[in-house]
Amino acid sequence: MAVPNITVQLNQVNVTYRVYEDRRPRLRDRLTGGGSRPAFRSIHAVKDVSLTAYEKDVVGVIGRNGSGKSTLMKALAGLLPVSSGDVFATAQPTLLGVSAVLRPNLSGRRNIILGGLALGLTRAQIDAKTPEIIAFTGLNDFIDLPMRTYSSGMRARLHFAVATAVEPDILIVDEALSVGDEEFKRKSQERIEGMRSKAGTVFIVSHSLSTITQLCNRAIWLDKGVVVADGDTETVVNDYRTLANQGR
Amino acid sequence: MPHPASAPDGLIRLGEQPGLTTYLKNVWRRRTFAFENARGELHAQHMDTALGNAWHLLNPILLIGVYYLVFDVILNATRGVENFIVYLAVGVLAYHWAQKTVTAGAATIVSNEGLIRSLAFPRILLPLSTCVQHTYAFLPSLLVMIAVTFAFGERPGFGLLMVIPAFVLQVAFITGVSLLAARAADAFRDTLNLLPFLFRLVFYGSGILYAVDDRFHDAFAHPIVTFIFIANPFYALVSVWRSAVMSSQPIALLGWLWMSATIWSIAVLVIGLLVFRAGEAGYGRA
Repeated sequence: MAVPNITVQLNQVNVTYRVYEDRRPRLRDRLTGGGSRPAFRSIHAVKDVSLTAYEKDVVGVIGRNGSGKSTLMKALAGLLPVSSGDVFATAQPTLLGVSAVLRPNLSGRRNIILGGLALGLTRAQIDAKTPEIIAFTGLNDFIDLPMRTYSSGMRARLHFAVATAVEPDILIVDEALSVGDEEFKRKSQERIEGMRSKAGTVFIVSHSLSTITQLCNRAIWLDKGVVVADGDTETVVNDYRTLANQGR
Repeated sequence: MPHPASAPDGLIRLGEQPGLTTYLKNVWRRRTFAFENARGELHAQHMDTALGNAWHLLNPILLIGVYYLVFDVILNATRGVENFIVYLAVGVLAYHWAQKTVTAGAATIVSNEGLIRSLAFPRILLPLSTCVQHTYAFLPSLLVMIAVTFAFGERPGFGLLMVIPAFVLQVAFITGVSLLAARAADAFRDTLNLLPFLFRLVFYGSGILYAVDDRFHDAFAHPIVTFIFIANPFYALVSVWRSAVMSSQPIALLGWLWMSATIWSIAVLVIGLLVFRAGEAGYGRA
């Protein structure tokens, strides 16, 4: 088969969420009575995004802060409900983000158990995988300390190790690589390569364009919730860089 | 681009509600999560204190101690009940268990936003886990309750076995209420601010601090007042607890109260499950 199999398909996906706005009511609001009520603002973070990803794709997602990258990834992982459109995938994607909190008051070890159970592993499977997970995190004697005492890099290592312990078909890495040190980057890149060789699909959100060029065969550029470009990494990254340097 | 209504070959639609049976199977398969999470939370709860896990036992003892001091030693209140302190202890401990479970259960979706946005799993595991946690935490209270009962001269005999159905009914009831409260709190955060007052109101209205039979003796002659008390699930549950551990105090209309507690527990559990599940796809939205 020359045509690779589709693993992820998004059709005209929109994501809107409502947040409470903390601002002083303006005079106009006061006059129209709008200022006395709490101000909720709808954020249309992802606008009409359609994309298709295939087996062995490593897709880089780039764009400025607040361009909707993380929101799109959460929607793709089924963690944030979409307002309209369809999200199809071969399996439930696994998302790794920097802000990921498992259970801050529990130790790393207990978090490994809980994370594994939430992902549907049995206790026996988790116990069998735990030494490997701990080895991957390199946390050693930190593993029995509460997770809230971890640095962001340590948290990212643990979350990465737990989430990839089940070998997801589709993995989304949202900036999780950037907080880690060189050793973690190398280890996680090896794991991403391993997934790709097993016909998986990986999405990588990063502001580090060198990471994107190094790992990805394809890139998507988002701006204000809209896909600006989708194509081979070199072209998209170069276009993005040119525009970023112009300062707009 | 065409807009296919159904999934392309080999793909599944994400964020779609599975059928009720599949949903329950998924939950059952991951039930260990609820227990493990509950154990972890209990373990972490008093980790920073000098007395540690002893607090699980000390809390109910101190609580009953305060009520004993105020009502028995200072006020010398009996309120027409033979063994008022036991009557009080049973009511207060059972009610506290319900209150703590529901209050914590209501906050589960709101307070676990991080976990919800990190991992995909049936969200119902979170409120269920809170119920497991507070039920575990109630077990020392149950010991204290039974110890107080015997210490103050009650001899329930084999009737004590009735704590088992009372326990089961209350677990079902508070689980159902927690699920309803969690869904409500996700839709309207204000629920969390309202809950303490609702519980306070129900506390006074469910005969925890006074004997309903006695206080409303004349009013009880009126069938509507009687019906209201029988239909109050909290009064029904507290009464079946009292009937199980107390031998000195006969509870009026006990059969009806058992029936009320049973109907409420089953109905609220089923409705809570369905209502919580209906909101499953939307949890975690900002």
